[in-house]
Amino acid sequence: MSSRKLPPGFREEVLDSDTEEYFVNMGPQHPSTHGALRLALRLDGETIVEVVPHFGYIHRGIEKQAESMNYLQYIMLSDRQDYLTAIQNNWGICLAFEKGLGIGVPERGEFIRVMLAELGRIASHLVFYACFGGDLGGQTALLFGFKEREMIHDILDEVTGSRLTTNFFRPGGSVHDIPDTFIPRVTSFLEHLEKSMVDYERFLSKNIIVLERTKGIGILSKEDAIAYGCSGPVLRASGVSYDVRKNDPYGIYDQLDFDVPITYRGDTYDRYVVRIAEIHESIKILRQCIKLFPEGPYRSKEKPSIRLNPGSYYSATETAKGLYATYVVAASGDKPYRIHTRGPSFANLAALNNMARGHKISDLVSILSTIDPVIPEIDR
Amino acid sequence: MMIPSVPHPLGDWVRQMIPIPELAFLANALICIIAICAVAIGSAPILIYMERKVCAHIQCRLGPMRLGYRGTLQTIADVMKLLFKEVYAPSGADKFVFYLAPMIVLVAPFLVLAMIPFDHNLQVSNLSVGIPFVIAVNGFGILAILIGGWASNNKYSLLGALRSGAQMISYEISFALVLLFVVMVSGSASLMEITLSQSGTILDWWIFKIPVLGFLAFIMFFISSIAELNRAPFDIAEAEQELTGGYHTEYNGTAFAMFYLAEYINLITISSLASTCFLGGFFPPLIGVEAVDTILLKVPGFLWFAGKVVLMIWAYMMVRWTFVRPRVDQLMALEWKFLLPFNLLLLALGAVYIAF
Amino acid sequence: MGIMNAVPGILDPIPGGKHLVNMLDYVTNWARANSLWPLTYGTSCCAIEMMSSSMARYDIARFGSEVFRASPRQADLFIIAGTITEKMAPALQMLWEQIPGPKYAIAMGACTISGGPFMYDNYSVIRGANTLIPVDVFIPGCPPRPEALFHGLLTLRDKILSETFRDPWKEGIVIDKPYPDRWSEATKAWEELEKIKDEEMAEARLKFKEEQPGYKSPYKALRVAKEVFPEIPHQPKPLIGLPANTIFSIIKKNFPSVSPFDNDPSEPALMARPSDMPLDVLVSKEEYVDLIQFLKEDPRTHLDYLIDVTAVDWIGHFDVITQLMSIEKGHKLFIRLSLPKDDSIPEENRATSLLAAMPSIYHLYPAAEWKEREVFDMFGIHFENHPDERRLFVDEDFKGYPLRKDFTHPHILKRPV
Repeated sequence: MSSRKLPPGFREEVLDSDTEEYFVNMGPQHPSTHGALRLALRLDGETIVEVVPHFGYIHRGIEKQAESMNYLQYIMLSDRQDYLTAIQNNWGICLAFEKGLGIGVPERGEFIRVMLAELGRIASHLVFYACFGGDLGGQTALLFGFKEREMIHDILDEVTGSRLTTNFFRPGGSVHDIPDTFIPRVTSFLEHLEKSMVDYERFLSKNIIVLERTKGIGILSKEDAIAYGCSGPVLRASGVSYDVRKNDPYGIYDQLDFDVPITYRGDTYDRYVVRIAEIHESIKILRQCIKLFPEGPYRSKEKPSIRLNPGSYYSATETAKGLYATYVVAASGDKPYRIHTRGPSFANLAALNNMARGHKISDLVSILSTIDPVIPEIDR
Repeated sequence: MMIPSVPHPLGDWVRQMIPIPELAFLANALICIIAICAVAIGSAPILIYMERKVCAHIQCRLGPMRLGYRGTLQTIADVMKLLFKEVYAPSGADKFVFYLAPMIVLVAPFLVLAMIPFDHNLQVSNLSVGIPFVIAVNGFGILAILIGGWASNNKYSLLGALRSGAQMISYEISFALVLLFVVMVSGSASLMEITLSQSGTILDWWIFKIPVLGFLAFIMFFISSIAELNRAPFDIAEAEQELTGGYHTEYNGTAFAMFYLAEYINLITISSLASTCFLGGFFPPLIGVEAVDTILLKVPGFLWFAGKVVLMIWAYMMVRWTFVRPRVDQLMALEWKFLLPFNLLLLALGAVYIAF
Repeated sequence: MGIMNAVPGILDPIPGGKHLVNMLDYVTNWARANSLWPLTYGTSCCAIEMMSSSMARYDIARFGSEVFRASPRQADLFIIAGTITEKMAPALQMLWEQIPGPKYAIAMGACTISGGPFMYDNYSVIRGANTLIPVDVFIPGCPPRPEALFHGLLTLRDKILSETFRDPWKEGIVIDKPYPDRWSEATKAWEELEKIKDEEMAEARLKFKEEQPGYKSPYKALRVAKEVFPEIPHQPKPLIGLPANTIFSIIKKNFPSVSPFDNDPSEPALMARPSDMPLDVLVSKEEYVDLIQFLKEDPRTHLDYLIDVTAVDWIGHFDVITQLMSIEKGHKLFIRLSLPKDDSIPEENRATSLLAAMPSIYHLYPAAEWKEREVFDMFGIHFENHPDERRLFVDEDFKGYPLRKDFTHPHILKRPV
């Protein structure tokens, strides 16, 4: 076959064809690679033969830097990994720290955590909705998703003091209590969201072009999804019911009543449907939390500086993207010996080549947006 | 305005002033060219402003607000800024062809505009082969996109150009077939004749005159003209999310401004064609009630024409900001598997309609 | 426009020509300042705020800047949104060069001003976008709110409005020097000020003390009542899947040399293990792949899901931890491989060479490909039979392996204590 030297990363044997393949570089600056991702495409006409992602354009050495920061300072860096679900990352880190400290969280603190995390999940899925619509070419969907998200940011702004990088949870609870306006605001927001979700679903879910563009595209089989270590909506769309909140509960998720939406075809449309269904489940969880919201202390006893007992600690949480696992190795002192985070986007993106092979460039864009990767979380 | 036979006060005045017919002809031609250019280029910024406002209001935004009253001067600033930008071609580009493309892209819409009857006596040229001429000239725009994309020496541009070539050549067919339908039912290929055949009440317009068929033909025309215009949802040649800009990825400054303006001038020509062929051209929408009709008839024809064009443009804009973009092969499938057979059927049914 | 730049030279000497040039300036500046088309470029958190600013709530379109161009050739404004790393820097410079002039740059966020949260102890973040391209406006914040971006945009507008053809726009100069250590500077300046203050006040203070020897300030510092929080012990969640001792007995039967890493291998000790901490077993290099294959295929354990492969550098040796999980049953198992560092490599080459080798499990878990590449990239551990062992996050020619404890890099700035 062709004796050309393939660019780094490509490895599949050249298919026996009369046409000449060519290579196109997508990114690191490209409108639909969701940030600083670079995809090297090998194309036959418009058909994708192979996709090779290149990382590191936003590699900020967070894990190295963590070794010279103390534990509480690191929470700030977790915000900047997956900035769309910053509040859930905070939770994942704090869970691992709590194991190392041997402390728990009071009930009110747990409710605050669940509510903020679910708000964060809705916000992240709305960004997905926006980017999905936008990547399919419907600029209006992009605007719609962000519209409701602003209301969540208003709530987060009031509670945590920041719109995006919240840095709100601490081992044992949160930085401070929620304001009195929190519950009424969430209640009214949920009412508004349910109303507008009807419109939004009508805008994309029943649009004939969207259905044509997404059904049967980028199919990821159940076996492949597990083998590539996918998690979150990508895994659940392929028919695997694994949600850390249900299968390995943390916080008070075992006391709440919610379903894990799954679909079985594993195509682009299913991943979209799963995420939309998760928004509705999050609304359900938030409604229950509002009903059950207890009085009492919002955090356990404060320590001036935290030192984890030597050992290694592992925590797993379900962010909007999937399984977010933290592995902390603590030695003596107030600084972590090593912190490693397993971001869901990194593993989900591993399945990209499998999903996109044989489809067109336009489909690659929509497949990529249903993986919903956040690149700083991959590169760290 | 004057060239073969259309009388117009201005043309007549020029002919009176200049006794030599050849010179008078030239002077009149110059006036026509200037008028067409002024109308087209002058209205493009207005349309861009309109598009930004329509899009903003669909998306629950305000759109340009700061420059002039509610941002009316925004596009003027944009165009002026583009004129003052640095102009350069990418290093590997074929410079001559690279700069030729944006010039060609403006030619086609102007030639089409010359055929359009804006009013009873407001038409540059009343060709008896108007519709074939329009179809032929309109295909010229593809050439600009193809050579522009090729000359840019950029894979994205080339992909965009090839997509656009495939798309426009396919949709040209159904575009032509729908126009042929109009030619068939009206019995003339001259655009003026087509307009005159729609005189009478609103029910005499081709969209309503033939029950069901006319409306279907109009829908067919609308779909294929969106593809002809390269506008969303059929803007696969630009496809910002996929190809970062398609054929005009490498264009900047004035050259880009030409592509940018050509898109909107094309919009005017296609909308004019739609209102000429289907919406009764410059005729007012008479409803058959004497009292109302007399008032409607007082409004000059070219205003009715402009109103219909704006209505069409508004429809194009609403569609653009509502739908998502189909994939390139789906777009082809739509044309070859649906639009083309349907158009042929429409032609056959039209023939049946005429026969009885 | 080269021709336009010659206009003042011609018109200025003519009487009244100055006004004409002023008028021309006004018109062009007005067009440029009000029609800033930004380039779609964002790397991290700031990009989301940049997107938010163009959305319905904030609507950058009001200023005429909603035309985000994907191609740099048509953009005027480069909003550098997000951290810039050394791998991204060449791409950033290339994008800047592709934008036709006159072009402007806004550095959005703390990262683009000084490196922000990543300024200290970091080997890969560029400290300030102004070391790469000339920046017109800096917007502080992490990330800045959309309102701040608008303020930056309007500041840039004011800057453009003061341009003139007499001194035409030209590309600015890149400040290619490291970010100054403002903290130390400020500390020093403050200390000096304090010293001056002490000197000047010494006499007055002495006098005051003499006049009122028993003086006590009547003011008391106000303190908010300290909240009292309960002490709550950590309560592990109930066990999911197989308990640790069952898993260990399954392993022990087939692989007798395997031992728990941080635990007593006796049954009661394994039973007493907190349920939320997965069992961590130490395995030898020879048995590593066999053990994982066995655990994956055995229907009792069925560890079919690879969570992660990561490593820890314990000065003398590396620990590589393979984290496995069973999707179906939910139990997890950490498999730890202790790799001694290769001592045969001379001291001066140790930092840049691979110090250990271990087998790859790519053929069992396709997910391991990138995770192992990451360990290779960060620790310099070679994986045998890995299909594509390249650097993952850092450049191909990057010297050293960042997550080793003895890693040094010339760009690291130590945090002053």
